[in-house]
Amino acid sequence: MKKLSDWVKESKKNKKKKPSDFVTRFEPVGDSKSNQTDNGDSISSETIQSNNSNSNQQQQDTPSNSDSILPSLKTTLDSIKETIGKSTDIVFREFEFGQNGEFKAAVVFTDGLAQKYFLNDSVIKPLMVDIREANSNITFSHSTDILTLLKNHTLSTAEVSKAKTMTEIYDALLVGESIFLVDGLKEAAVIGTRHWEGRGVQEPSSQTVVRGPKDGFSETLRINTALLRRRIKDPSLWIESFYVGKKTKTEVAIVYLKGVATESVLKEVRKRIKRIDVDSILESGQLEELIQDETYTPFPTVYNSERPDGIAGGILEGRVAIIVDGTPFVLLVPALFVQFLQSPEDYYQRSDIASLIRMLRFISFLLALLVPSAYIAVTTFHQEMLPTTLLVSLASQREGSPFPAFVEALLMEVTFEILREAGIRLPRAVGSAISIVGALVLGQAAVEAGLVSAAMVIVVSLTAISSFVIPQYNMSISIRMLRFGFMFLAASFGLLGIIVGIIILVLHMCSLRSFGIPYLSPMGPFNAAGQQDAIIRLPQWKLFSRPRLIGQKDKHREETPAPSPNINMDENKEN
Amino acid sequence: MKMLKCFVILVLLIPLLTSCWSRKELNELAITTGLAIDKQDNQYLITAQILNPSEIASSQQTSARLPVATFTRTGQTIFEALRNLTHESPRRLYLSHVRMVIFGEEVAKDGIQEVLDFISRDHEMRTDFYIAVAKGQEGRDLLKVLTPLEKIPTMKMFNSIETAGGNIATVKGVHLDELITKVITKGINPVITGLYVKGPKDIGNDLSNVKKVDTPTTIQTDYLAAFKDDKLVGWLTRDESKGLKYIENDVTNTIITIPCEDGKVSIELYNVTGSVEGSVSNGTPKITISLESEGILGEAQCQIDLTKPETIEELNKKIEENQKEKLQKVVARSQKDLKSDILSFGEAIHRADPKAWKTLKEKWDDEFPNVEVEYKIKADIRRLGTISESFQ
Repeated sequence: MKKLSDWVKESKKNKKKKPSDFVTRFEPVGDSKSNQTDNGDSISSETIQSNNSNSNQQQQDTPSNSDSILPSLKTTLDSIKETIGKSTDIVFREFEFGQNGEFKAAVVFTDGLAQKYFLNDSVIKPLMVDIREANSNITFSHSTDILTLLKNHTLSTAEVSKAKTMTEIYDALLVGESIFLVDGLKEAAVIGTRHWEGRGVQEPSSQTVVRGPKDGFSETLRINTALLRRRIKDPSLWIESFYVGKKTKTEVAIVYLKGVATESVLKEVRKRIKRIDVDSILESGQLEELIQDETYTPFPTVYNSERPDGIAGGILEGRVAIIVDGTPFVLLVPALFVQFLQSPEDYYQRSDIASLIRMLRFISFLLALLVPSAYIAVTTFHQEMLPTTLLVSLASQREGSPFPAFVEALLMEVTFEILREAGIRLPRAVGSAISIVGALVLGQAAVEAGLVSAAMVIVVSLTAISSFVIPQYNMSISIRMLRFGFMFLAASFGLLGIIVGIIILVLHMCSLRSFGIPYLSPMGPFNAAGQQDAIIRLPQWKLFSRPRLIGQKDKHREETPAPSPNINMDENKEN
Repeated sequence: MKMLKCFVILVLLIPLLTSCWSRKELNELAITTGLAIDKQDNQYLITAQILNPSEIASSQQTSARLPVATFTRTGQTIFEALRNLTHESPRRLYLSHVRMVIFGEEVAKDGIQEVLDFISRDHEMRTDFYIAVAKGQEGRDLLKVLTPLEKIPTMKMFNSIETAGGNIATVKGVHLDELITKVITKGINPVITGLYVKGPKDIGNDLSNVKKVDTPTTIQTDYLAAFKDDKLVGWLTRDESKGLKYIENDVTNTIITIPCEDGKVSIELYNVTGSVEGSVSNGTPKITISLESEGILGEAQCQIDLTKPETIEELNKKIEENQKEKLQKVVARSQKDLKSDILSFGEAIHRADPKAWKTLKEKWDDEFPNVEVEYKIKADIRRLGTISESFQ
């Protein structure tokens, strides 16, 4: 922003020279305020420019003298060519402009990342053709600030900024900007031409809903911020950018509602992102591991989603979204345990149904975690707990079974895990083969061969189905893992082991924090108001406060009165 | 990290623990559903009925093996005899699912206190089984009868007691805790369900028993065994059993048949509440038995006008008479013949006048036969079924 305002001042100085008949495709910058509240387009341009300025500021901290741009165009171009290793995707376009072609200039851009047609129409053509045709009174000379003049009058592009060092040039060039160099100048213009082929907005594949928006985040960060901006059209939606990874220079944006998001959480997020010193960030999962609170826990403490509606909902509650360029999975912090058992759809279905489904998910969570271990414990230690008839039927299935119940369970669970993993890795076309092999061959054949009892197949299936109910994949993985621990405990200590295991697990969960927020809240520490949207979901008109500990600064969310049929009836009478 | 290392080491140590000592796979167990306790040469003779799970649960018709088997062994104590059974049984006896414990009549006459000690001490035995006495037979005879419908004979006995106890009120199921309380408490004496085998025993032992429509050998639930302390002193008849259940407020539903003009009327009784209240005046104990019941007319085989309130009133009177007769029967039997307070009169006195009970307690066996009993009976027919007039 600092640089932008500098430019504004400079352009004001130059205003006097501005001829009235000069052809321009954009309004003069004028003042920065009008630019900010221009239109939808300018929102993104503003943020990009602020991003650029951020990065520039960071890099300006350590400029070396050899880093500065030399006045000789040829030297500069050679230097770029040399540094970049004559990579074939970097295009150098040299040309001359001015009334008599007195200025040598060059445009450098990365093929595939920069929009060539746009560069033709808005940069090269105005300079080479329009300036002459316009018959302008502007006189270019080496004494005037040519770049500023061109920026204000000729370069008809939405984004232009100046670069003073070679580092800045490379940073801009390799994200798809075009570099405009003029012979004899110690600075270059960076023209916003980023545009590359992306996947576009498609339906999310990982979190499907029956009712709800079908658009999903994409690999391009800018599309993702736009998806959020489309949902929250409020000036308090702030986006901050960071560049992470020495080699990948991945753009990471944090998105939050200013005045709602807790300041301490924001500070912590910024601190943790800035602390990162790695070569590469290719996916948000890598970033998640670098910023999460606790590594040695089976539970995820950072929420991720492909769904813009879910992330927007989180931001509106006061959470902070972290978008990483190059992946559709957007992170959301602080993340609480209950969040991983909730789905955005809960807010679109009727509240009673949503509440029941949420309870179903909690039950499924427990089932997925405990059914195999409970089965092992009851059948090897506590047969007296079963009704006689059930015991008899279980015992009859176990007759002639060669393995102890624990080994049997382990066998089937491991088989199932292999099946599941194979199902994910296989190409889609052969994916259905897995289900046939899994269901028929392994399930039925194993029982008929007498290797495992039929009850065990039921147990494993129940576990599997239950774990699929959990909306978040990373939570369901952690349960898959814990399940084996519980099976060991059950096989060695019976129900006693399971109970001790549960106690340890709950204690561990109580000790977890996600960006300073207790992981088990609103259950531990208990918060009565927080129960409105935890295991159950109250009707929309009752969700009038933001979750405590997360949206503390602006607790009051809404004031809709309860829907009442009488109001409508009175209105009808009047009509 | 240090924590993690400690944790990993602890986890690795788990296999070294001598855990799993109580682990028992389902196919290593001999699920015992019935125990019979008899006496032989001054030793206990234990018979265990053991399930053959694959025969019971399998959906296909498999081999001709039987769903249950019995093993019999003797021992000086119950515990010893049970352990001796492993000489015969390939698997360890698992007692948690015992449904019936049956005493032979001989054991019951000698006293069951020693036996109850093991049953209630052993941790594997749940307390939800029924205890019964074999009437005039050895307890093991009952475990050697194959029954129709229920593949497990002990389950048949268990369910019979439950069903009959709820529908006819002449059968009473007794659980372990109730029995022990009644044995050790002064002023109450226990009654236990009586069972017996009807028909030739050698057929009941064979699969041919359940291959006939009209099962030749069956297990009957009838009579109640009346005890004095822990010794069997006599058998109650059906009427007496019903009277006892009225007094104990244990009747949920029953049938009563009373005469009318030229035929009979059957009435289903429900909401039956009986109570025993005691009082002591001048050192003389007195008992008041009150009984209230509601009825539904179930069958009328005579020419009566049921639409008239007077007829209903008359029927009510007859029900009351019938009930009183049954109550009197059981009171007379226990006071004059058995001389055993199976009606828990002593407990009623105890509740009403604890101070007087202190002196009465010592001579209760002498006092009990002479206790004066008063009856307050009220019956009320509420419904007449789907038709009102009789066809006749």
